[in-house]
Amino acid sequence: MKPLILQGHERSITQIKYNREGDLLFSASKDNKPNVWYSLNGERLGSFNGHQGAIWCIDVDWTTTKCMTGAGDNTCKIWDCETGKETGNIPTASSVRTCMFSYSANMAVYTTDKAMKQPCEIFIIDVRTIDDSFSRQEPILRIPISGSRVSSILWDNLDESLITGHENGEIIQWDLKTGKKINSIKEHDQLINDMQWNKDCTMFITASKDHTAKLFDAETLMLLKTYKTERPVNSAAISPIAEHVVLGGGQEAMEVTTTSSRAGKFDSRFFHLVFEEEFARVKGHFGPINSVCFHPDGKSYASGGEDGFVRVHSFDSSYFEYNFDY
Amino acid sequence: MAKKKTDDKSDESSKLNDSDSGSEEPNFSDPEDYVDDISDSELLGDLLHQKPKETDGYENVIVVDGVPQVGPNRLEKLKSVINKIFNKFGNIVNEYYPVTADGTTKGYVFLEYSNANHVLEVVNLTNNWKLDKQHTLSVNLFTDFDKYDSIPDKWEPPTPSPYEGQADLHYYLLDPDAYDQFAVVTVNVQSVQIWQNTLPEPTLVEERNNWTQTYIKWSPLGTYLATFHKLGIALWAGPQFTQHKKFTHAYVQYIDFSPCEKYLVTFSAQGDPANPDQKSIIIWDVRTGLEKRSFNPEGPSAWPIFRWSHDDKYFGRVGNDVLSIYETPSFGLLDKKSIKINGIRDFNWSPTDNVVAYWVAEDKDVPASVTLLELPNRNEIRKKNLFNVADCKIHWQKSGDYLCVKVDRYSKVRKEKNETKYSGMYCNFEIFHMREKQVPVDSVEIKEPIQAFAWEPVGTKFAMIHGESPNINVSFYEVKVGLAPILLKKFEKRACNHLFWSPGGQFIVLAGLGANGGGSLEFVDTNEFLVMNTTDHFQMSDVEWDPTGRYIFTGVSFWKCKVDTGYWMWSFQGKILKRINLERFAQILWRPRPATPLTEKQQKEIKKNLKKYYAQFESKDRMRQSKASKELIEKRAALMEKFNQYREQQISRWEEKKSRRMALRNNVDTDELDADTDNVEEEIVEFFVKEEIIPID
Repeated sequence: MKPLILQGHERSITQIKYNREGDLLFSASKDNKPNVWYSLNGERLGSFNGHQGAIWCIDVDWTTTKCMTGAGDNTCKIWDCETGKETGNIPTASSVRTCMFSYSANMAVYTTDKAMKQPCEIFIIDVRTIDDSFSRQEPILRIPISGSRVSSILWDNLDESLITGHENGEIIQWDLKTGKKINSIKEHDQLINDMQWNKDCTMFITASKDHTAKLFDAETLMLLKTYKTERPVNSAAISPIAEHVVLGGGQEAMEVTTTSSRAGKFDSRFFHLVFEEEFARVKGHFGPINSVCFHPDGKSYASGGEDGFVRVHSFDSSYFEYNFDY
Repeated sequence: MAKKKTDDKSDESSKLNDSDSGSEEPNFSDPEDYVDDISDSELLGDLLHQKPKETDGYENVIVVDGVPQVGPNRLEKLKSVINKIFNKFGNIVNEYYPVTADGTTKGYVFLEYSNANHVLEVVNLTNNWKLDKQHTLSVNLFTDFDKYDSIPDKWEPPTPSPYEGQADLHYYLLDPDAYDQFAVVTVNVQSVQIWQNTLPEPTLVEERNNWTQTYIKWSPLGTYLATFHKLGIALWAGPQFTQHKKFTHAYVQYIDFSPCEKYLVTFSAQGDPANPDQKSIIIWDVRTGLEKRSFNPEGPSAWPIFRWSHDDKYFGRVGNDVLSIYETPSFGLLDKKSIKINGIRDFNWSPTDNVVAYWVAEDKDVPASVTLLELPNRNEIRKKNLFNVADCKIHWQKSGDYLCVKVDRYSKVRKEKNETKYSGMYCNFEIFHMREKQVPVDSVEIKEPIQAFAWEPVGTKFAMIHGESPNINVSFYEVKVGLAPILLKKFEKRACNHLFWSPGGQFIVLAGLGANGGGSLEFVDTNEFLVMNTTDHFQMSDVEWDPTGRYIFTGVSFWKCKVDTGYWMWSFQGKILKRINLERFAQILWRPRPATPLTEKQQKEIKKNLKKYYAQFESKDRMRQSKASKELIEKRAALMEKFNQYREQQISRWEEKKSRRMALRNNVDTDELDADTDNVEEEIVEFFVKEEIIPID
C-alpha cells in the first residue's frame, strides 16, 4: 500500500474532504491556498487563490459546483469548482472556524470564533444564488453562542437541524426553524476537533482532544461507542463499506519538539466500529494528523497532517480480507 | 464571647431572683425527722463513678519508705539528704515527716511534687535507692497504696478473650498454577491494585483507593504488603489483605524489612511534631507490632542504615571509626561494645553466612583494606590491602559463594580546599572466593569507568557496563574454583545503563533507563550469549523481573515522566505480551516468593523431566487460550447482534425519509454512489502519464 503523497501545501493541513463521488480531494491548509486534487493519481487540479489567512475549514456541495472555505483572515468565501474563481465573499468579525453546505446545498452554515470581544456565532446563509449582492445579504439565521465556542459542525440530511461540537467537549443539537437548542450532551472532557457522518447520516463520530473518539446516534445524541487512544484525536472517520473507523491525531504540535516522532504516535489508527478494538495502524506522517477521511467508495482513505502533506492510501486486498471472528 | 456568656448568666440569675422575690417560695426543706431512703447509687448511679475520692489530688504525692529513723536533733540533716535526692526531679511543694511521740521519725516520708508528670519518673528512678549500707529507699506512689489496698481478696481469673485466628498468610503460594501476584500504584487517587498474573489475562484480586499515601513495598518473602501513611506504616496480609499490624511513626520515608520478615525498620526524617521525643529510626517486631529499639542516626549515611544478617540474628551499622553489631532478640550491642575499626567506611553482610565484609579508607601510611569478619566470634577470615583507593563498593553474590569488591582507584590525587580530587581513575574488581580455603582473591582491572555491575543471582557469572558514551560496552565474566575470572563475552557499543539479571540466572536484560537511556531493551541469554530481542520502551523508568524469571515488566512511572505512563509485560525472551497504558501509573512491584523448599537434587530432577511437564503445561495453556477466545467471540457476537438491531431500526427510519431527501436534491438519488446512473455526467480527464523523446535517425 504505497500512498500517494500530495505535496502542494507549504504549511500544515487543517481539513481535507472528498467530493460526493470521491474523484476529487479538497484540502485546506494554513498556507492560505486551498487545493483540489485528483484522488486517483494525486495530481493537483488547481488552487483557490484569494485568502489572506490560514484556512480552517473547507466544504464542497453535493454537485461539486461550489466550494466553501473559512479562514483566519475573517472571511468566508464561496468558490466555483470548475473555474477556481472566487464567487462570494462574506466578511466576518472574527476567524471562521467551521463551514458546511446543507444537504440540498441551498443553504450553508459557518461559525466564527470568540475573539476580539466578538462572541462565537453560528450563521445560516442562503447560497442558491451567488452574485454581487451576496456579501451584503443578511443571514437567514444567526445564533450567538454564549458558552464554549463551536469547534466543529454537522448538518443533518433533511436541512432541519445542526449539530455543533464545542471547545469544552459539549455537543449541541439545534432546531433551524426556531434557532433553539433541542438537545445537548457532554460526553467529552475536552475540545471536539472534528465530527463526521457515517454514510447514511444516522450516526456521527467525534474526535476529541481528550484522547478519545466517540460514536453517537444522530437523532438522540446517544453515546454508542468509544475508541480510546493515548493521544489527542484530531479527526475521525467512518468507513462507508466496512465496520471500521479511522482515527488521526498525535501529540499536540506545540509539544512535538520534546518527543521523538515514534513517541508522538502520528499513526492513523483503525478500530472496529462495534468492538472498539484497534486492529491496524498506518505510519507515515512525521507530525500529528489533523484530518482524515474515507473515500466514498471505501477503498481508500486520505490523511492530512501538521507536516503539510496529504497522504492518500489505497487499501490492499488484505484489508478487505481481514475479518474479526464473531 | 466570654463577656456575653457572663451577661447571659447574670440575666438568668437575675430572672431567678425576680421569680424569688415575685412570689412566695414554697418550702422545699425536708422536715427534721425525715429519713432519706433513696441510696446515692439509685439517685445518681451514672454520676457516682465521678464522685471525688479521698485520694484524689494525691497523684503528686510519693511515699518514701526505708528512711533512717532519727531523733529531732538530726531531722534537719535527714531533710537535707532526702531533698538532695528528690529535688533534682522536680519542685517539691510539700513534705511531711511523721514523728512518734518522742520525736523520732517513723522511717517514712511523704513528698508532694508540683507536677504529676515527674512523679512516675521519680518512682522509677529512685525506688531501691541505696542510701547507705543499712538503708535502701523504697519509693511508691501514694495512690498505689490505695489501689493495692482495694484489690479484692478473692482472685477472679480473667476471662480469656476469644481467639482470633490469623488469616492464612501464605495462601497465594498455594495457587495450583503458581501464578504470581503484582501490585500497581496509581497516583491520582493513590489506588493500589493487586493483580494475579493468570493466563491469558491477569485477574484483579484487590483494588482500594487511598490505600497508600506515597508508595508501597512488599516484605522480602512476600508475606506482607507495606503501605505508607502520614501516621506510619500499615502491613496487610492474608487472602483479603486485611490489616496485619500498624506501626505508628509519623511521616515515614523509608522502611526496611529484615530478611526473615521478623523485624521492620522505619525511618522518618521529619518526625512527629506532636511527639518530639520519638526517634527517627525505629525497629519494630513485625508479629507483635511492638517497638523493639529506636535510634537517631549519626551523620549522613545511605539507607538502609542498619543492615541485617541473613538469619535476622544480627544487625549492624557503621559509626565514626566503629562498627556496631546488635543482637536480636535482646537488641543490645553484641558483647556490649562496638567493634573499633579506624576509618571504616562501609560494610555488608554475606547473604548466606554471618560474615561481614567491610572496607577501610587509606590514612597516611596505612593502606586501605577490605576485611572479612566472622560474627559473633569476631574472627578475621581474610584481609586484603589495597592502594590508591578512592572508593569501594561491596557486592555479595546472592548465594554467598563469592564477594566482589569494586575498587575505584586513582593515579593522581590533589587536595583543593579540603576537597580531595582524584584523576586518572580506573577500576579494580577484587573477587573473593568464599568457599575456598583461606579465601583466595583474584583481581580484574578495567581501565574504563564502570556504569553498572551485577552478579548472576544463581550461577557464577557477573556482568558489567563500562566505557564512556557513546562507546558503552557490556562484558560478562565467569568465576571458577581455583581460576581467575575469565572474560566470556563483550558486547560493544550498546545503549544501556542498567543490568537486570533474571532471578533464576542465565537471562539478563540490558536496559537504558531514565532520560538519557532512551528506554532501550536487550534480552540476552548468557548461555550462548544470544541476543534474543532488541527493542525499547520509550522513557522507561523501571524494570521488574517476576520472582520466577518468566516475565518482565517495564514501566514508565508518573514520578519520572508525565506522558505515556504505563507498564508493559514481556516474556523473558523479549516478546511483548501486554501493553497497559495507564494514566498516572506510578509503581509496579511483583510479590516476592520465599526460597523454594525443594532441594537441589529435586530441582535437577524436575529439569531433567521438563519434557514430560512441558506437554502438560502446553495442553493446559491451549485449553485456557481456546476458552478465552471462545469468551471473546461470544462477547463480540453479543455486541454485534445488539448493534445490528440498532442499525436495522435506523435504516428503516432512514428509508422512510428517502422521498424527503430526494426532494432536497432535485430528485436525484444520492444514497448510493451509483444509485442514479442516469443523472451522471461522464467527464473524461486525460492524464499526462509519460513523455518519451525518440530521436529519429
